[in-house]
Amino acid sequence: MRCEEIGELLPDYFEGSLKAGQDSLVEEHIAQCADCREEVVIWKKLSLLPVERLGAGSRERFEAMLSAYQTGRSDKASAGFGPSKRGLLWSWLRSPVGALAWSAALLVIGVFAGNYFGNRPTHSSANQDEIATMHTELANMKQMVVLSMLQQQSAGERLQGVSYSRREDQLDPQVMSALVHTLRYDGSVDVRLAALDALSRHGAQPQVHKGVVDALQEQQSPLVQVALIDLMLEWRDPDAAQRLRDFVQTPNLNPAVRQRADWALSRLN
Amino acid sequence: MLEVRNGTGETLGVLFDRYHAPLYNFYTKLTGDRTLSDDLVQEVFLRILKYRQSYEPGTPFRAWIYQIARNARVDHYRKTPRHITFEAEMVAPVMPKDSAQQSEETELLHRALLQMPEEKREILVLSRFQELKYEEIARLLGCELGTVKTRIHRAIQELRQNFKQLERGLAPRDAGPAVVKTIPPRRFGNEM
Repeated sequence: MRCEEIGELLPDYFEGSLKAGQDSLVEEHIAQCADCREEVVIWKKLSLLPVERLGAGSRERFEAMLSAYQTGRSDKASAGFGPSKRGLLWSWLRSPVGALAWSAALLVIGVFAGNYFGNRPTHSSANQDEIATMHTELANMKQMVVLSMLQQQSAGERLQGVSYSRREDQLDPQVMSALVHTLRYDGSVDVRLAALDALSRHGAQPQVHKGVVDALQEQQSPLVQVALIDLMLEWRDPDAAQRLRDFVQTPNLNPAVRQRADWALSRLN
Repeated sequence: MLEVRNGTGETLGVLFDRYHAPLYNFYTKLTGDRTLSDDLVQEVFLRILKYRQSYEPGTPFRAWIYQIARNARVDHYRKTPRHITFEAEMVAPVMPKDSAQQSEETELLHRALLQMPEEKREILVLSRFQELKYEEIARLLGCELGTVKTRIHRAIQELRQNFKQLERGLAPRDAGPAVVKTIPPRRFGNEM
């Protein structure tokens, strides 16, 4: 093949998206043609350029910008209220009587809107699709954020990831599995405890239930062990008594943990 | 992103954590200026906050953020036109002792990149360092997929020439071509 033809294939070759067979055509050509080979070499050499890192102050600048922006917005909003009359209205709305009146008004508006919109014909399918896409996108975004935070180096960020996962009523299976993994293997006791706390709200799900109950034998931290015992007692797991009996047989068990397990056993019986 | 769009500042922090490094590298490789790159990254996040309503749910977020990044750079140069000069500090400050040759090669490569016209440099940076697919670049630049591939090939040819000349010592160390040409950005409806 001529260099021009190979040149057309090179970008896909760089991206690794050439069709089967075309790869070898390019490779055969560049083995013989120095000019084309140099183009491939220079593309590969670009990976030598260092990855630049932002200075530590950059995050602070960002936070300051965010806070200034939000302050600016709230100042603007409050400036828009104007002088005395609106100020008085605002004070009245904030008073107990005002709050009651305001709540009642909202309730009336809510009932009215519910009746009105509830009786309207259903939305067009295009709107429903759009709403469904938005929901999916939002759910994916949240899921991605949690999963990526749970893999961070810093325990603080992993902790934040666990807290973030608590915002959802329904746990995505991937997030659930990541939380169970965190509970079992995270290096920080705080993060493991937070993961347990997040999972405790989803005990009805078999995967969560099993992950939590199985974690008891693997944990070394007394704090996490006690939290697990308490949760098993709360869930009234049918196997809990047997598992706790096995658990108290563990050699070198922390006395406080053994005492807690014995107490839980007495409650279960 | 939808949370940012709906006004939640906290989620912007998550976006900052995820995108500040790729954006910073996009700018440092394009401008060769760390301070300016830092400023531009901050500008991008301010614009995300200001123009978040212009994000259309369901459209690729990465394309949107890079569109903002390109516009921020173009607007900056519109206000303060300048020449690109190579900053020696752009080369990794700490290199292993046995990699002196590699360090020199890296420096030459960076100089060769910065000598290219901005349009060619940008397409190389987008395709090689930002992990954008060619389709995404085509959407971002508002051109056909085939055009993107052709431009990448031409850019790599030019980079190779520049690099060879620098290796042979044909070009003086401070020779920077590089009057910044502003590329008219394709805007997504709103002034970002």
